[in-house]
Amino acid sequence: MIHIISFANRHLYEDVLEEHFRLRHDIFVEERRWETLRKPDRREIDSFDNEDTIYLLALEGRRVVGGHRLYPTTKPSMMSEIFPHLADVRGCPSDPLIWEWSRYFIIRDRRDGNLNLRLMAAVQEFCLAEGIAKISAIMETWWLPRFQEAGFKVTPLGLPGLVEDAWTMAALIDVSHDTLQAISERTGLPSVIQRKGPHLSAVALANLHRKRNDIIREIA
Amino acid sequence: MDALERAFGRFGFETIIVTGLPNPGQNFSQMVLAKRWPAEWFKLYTENNFVRVDPVVRHCRRLIHPFEWAEAPYDPERERGSAEVMRRATDFRMQRGFIVPIHGLTGYEAAVSLGGVDLDLNVRSKPALHLMAMYSFDRIRYLLQPTPDPTPRLTQREREVVAWASQGKSAWEIGEILHITQRTAEQHLANAASKLGAVNRTHTVAIAIRNKIINP
Repeated sequence: MIHIISFANRHLYEDVLEEHFRLRHDIFVEERRWETLRKPDRREIDSFDNEDTIYLLALEGRRVVGGHRLYPTTKPSMMSEIFPHLADVRGCPSDPLIWEWSRYFIIRDRRDGNLNLRLMAAVQEFCLAEGIAKISAIMETWWLPRFQEAGFKVTPLGLPGLVEDAWTMAALIDVSHDTLQAISERTGLPSVIQRKGPHLSAVALANLHRKRNDIIREIA
Repeated sequence: MDALERAFGRFGFETIIVTGLPNPGQNFSQMVLAKRWPAEWFKLYTENNFVRVDPVVRHCRRLIHPFEWAEAPYDPERERGSAEVMRRATDFRMQRGFIVPIHGLTGYEAAVSLGGVDLDLNVRSKPALHLMAMYSFDRIRYLLQPTPDPTPRLTQREREVVAWASQGKSAWEIGEILHITQRTAEQHLANAASKLGAVNRTHTVAIAIRNKIINP
């Protein structure tokens, strides 16, 4: 199952989160050579890992085998802070109903199976349940046909550009029943996410940040 | 395809092929999804099984990013077949080209390959062509899909939930029976309703029985 881990229930998952930061270092730094992410303690943590991040992690027992994270676009996001040039045609979204999707990973020995599809189903299922309408993402362009094959409706926000020698693009992905349905038919699983402990309402959280932005703007 | 021809034609491209890459034992001509190729060249290409020696195809399998045909490496001395494909292609106004590899989720390999003579192919046009090729591929695959079954298909879970609803169970009760949350049960019912075009739960059950989706 893909577990939903937020600020509200992370006390149930501290060990899992720790392992996941290490796995991210193994995969994004050691394997994929994103040297800017390298950390002396070998835990890949950036400025979008905080109390507002929601992690969707695939667990086998307590072992992390894959995952990704969501981050509200009503806060400064990876797209708005680091890659705004990739979204210069349609612009970077900032909306409580749009969350930024990033750090998609699968451990090496699970890349052949259908975990990929389950991870894609998880983001759709979670966002549908939370009322999130779209997800924004900075992604390597070669993933576009893979998302399309899974039934994702992807809209580019700008033209692809080279990031660390890889063609990369900014995109908006629709959250929809049809997409979830198409993936479910392939995985044979009507539901892939699991929640434990207290819930956090993602959209309420994003609304709070928007409110705070408004107040800060008024004062300024 | 006409739309693609016009769109890519603006960049000077004269030939387009959207195709899966054959595994050993697969026939190239059966992998082609759509093409605007000179008939003569397609005949030559398939009859001589050029796909096995085409350096562009070989490079395409190894790369995830697009490249110009001229970037596909081969040894003209030791790989005569490869040299021949590249040389013969120029006889059909395929002097330069750009290819976008497509790597699917379960090992499916495909490509959109564009050729011509006088091309607007540079650092500024390539990113746009990259996206255009990928969206073209998606569109063509969508158009080639068999038309969906007119009677909507419910998932196993949706059928179960509708079956229990037909027995008069509430969403909460169905949740208890199937060990899912009430919310999930409601979601399945809502999905079933929308697929069947029903306006409420009773209507869903009625349509499901009428279409023999569940047994009363």
